[in-house]
Amino acid sequence: MFNLSGISNEPKNKNYDVVIVGAGPGGLSAAIYTARAKLKTLVLERATEGGQITLTNMVEDYPGFASISGEKLADKFVEHAREFGVSFANEEVMEMDLSGDVKKIKTDFGNEYTAKVVIIATGSNPRKLGVPGENEFANRGVSYCAVCDGSFFKDKPVVVIGGGDSAIEEGIYLSKISSEVGVVHRRDKLRAQKIAQERAFKIPNMKFIWNSVVTKIGGDDSVEYVTLKDVKSGEITKYPTSGVFIYVGLVPNSQLVEDVVEMDDHGFIITNEHMETKIKGVYAVGDVRKTVLRQVITAAADGAIAAVDLTKYFD
Amino acid sequence: MAALLSEEDRKYLTDLFGKELKSEVKILFFKSDDKDECQYCDVSQQILEELAETNEKINIKIHDFNTEGDLVEKYKVEMMPAIIMLDKDGNDMRVRFYGVPSGYEFSTLIEDIIAISKGGEVELSPATLEMLKNVDSPLKLQVFVTPTCPYCPKAVAMAQKLAMKSEYIQGEMVEANEFPELSMKYNVSSVPHIIINEGAGEFVGALPEDAFVEQVMSVVKGA
Repeated sequence: MFNLSGISNEPKNKNYDVVIVGAGPGGLSAAIYTARAKLKTLVLERATEGGQITLTNMVEDYPGFASISGEKLADKFVEHAREFGVSFANEEVMEMDLSGDVKKIKTDFGNEYTAKVVIIATGSNPRKLGVPGENEFANRGVSYCAVCDGSFFKDKPVVVIGGGDSAIEEGIYLSKISSEVGVVHRRDKLRAQKIAQERAFKIPNMKFIWNSVVTKIGGDDSVEYVTLKDVKSGEITKYPTSGVFIYVGLVPNSQLVEDVVEMDDHGFIITNEHMETKIKGVYAVGDVRKTVLRQVITAAADGAIAAVDLTKYFD
Repeated sequence: MAALLSEEDRKYLTDLFGKELKSEVKILFFKSDDKDECQYCDVSQQILEELAETNEKINIKIHDFNTEGDLVEKYKVEMMPAIIMLDKDGNDMRVRFYGVPSGYEFSTLIEDIIAISKGGEVELSPATLEMLKNVDSPLKLQVFVTPTCPYCPKAVAMAQKLAMKSEYIQGEMVEANEFPELSMKYNVSSVPHIIINEGAGEFVGALPEDAFVEQVMSVVKGA
């Protein structure tokens, strides 16, 4: 109930062996490995340490924990990294110069850090739906974070858009708070893990609206309805709701290194099998990387691989 | 009531405060004993008392919101539970927490205690410190949060850092769920939601320092 993972230990030092941008599972795993390799390691985080798992109510697929809250798991990662002497700063990176042997990292507090190696572990953010009303109602009923904003919709109806793991898991979370959760999905079956699907189908106040897309979010002062389009029949209907939670995929947080490292068409950073980018001493791990799976466990694995490889710059 | 802090967290804090705290920090806590009036006053008081046990430089004074009108007036306490922080000389550092500082906001409370024990030493960019010189009238920043929002502490910390560096600025955390009427008044449905001077300005989201300051200053210039 009282979480200490956000405390930065105010690094007085500005020069590091390794600077890791982002404190999600990928960045924190890398930090644990580099700190144990006795490399001076700084982790920079713009929100609370833990990354996207802090937005997840429950994690059930990280080995060793049959069921653990995202907050708790994140907390354990942070504690583990602190235990081995990792420094943390709650600063947002605004600019990086990665070209030379000494990389420079500038943050929003006006600090400039240097490092021999930089690991980009910036993760991803929820993708916007891109329909009229989404921006207009951004703070009046539209949300991308059920654990943050769910309590504002107590006993009110909400819709969740999407059919993947996040949509279904957060839909289940919302079903305990809201009067009704309408899951709007463009296909006739879900992509989410089977176990989550089975649970969701048993929940009486979770309704599934198949083969449908939201084409507009509307209302007066705050959200009052979404406009649904049946993708098969083309039929348009108005669906009353107070809240709209959007889980339609992720966009990588790679803008910082745009035009600097190689990326695919979606902005995911391309690395070799050691997680190193085309630039020497610059690595990318976790959700921001072009990869086949984006889970806590794969991000953590990326971090370990990068951390072991980068020791070559310190031999 | 069982301890709110785990043994590990208590140890961590004892260690951290032992290293970081320089001078005394005075915390004023305003509450009511009436559960119907203040559901979360007990738990707020307990966490503060547990904090005070970790280091003798943290000094808690408990006050009754209903009967100690002079103090309520002096510090312009609007709701409860309320936490107000003063430096060793009793100067108001213009930092307020309305509601339990739980979840991710607990870290913000800890960092504030450390900053105030160092006389309000906080990190802000030179550009921000320069901008603050243009603030010459009261500026109240209310940051609406939920304890489970990982983006929120950054916004609260920004507001409170500005407060520590400008005598005109007050930085408040408001736990949105505990004050539903106030949240409703400002249409809070997505956090962090920052209200400037009772609605003269507002914005949503945890912004980097320069963008946060720009939002705040847009109200100042418009005034």
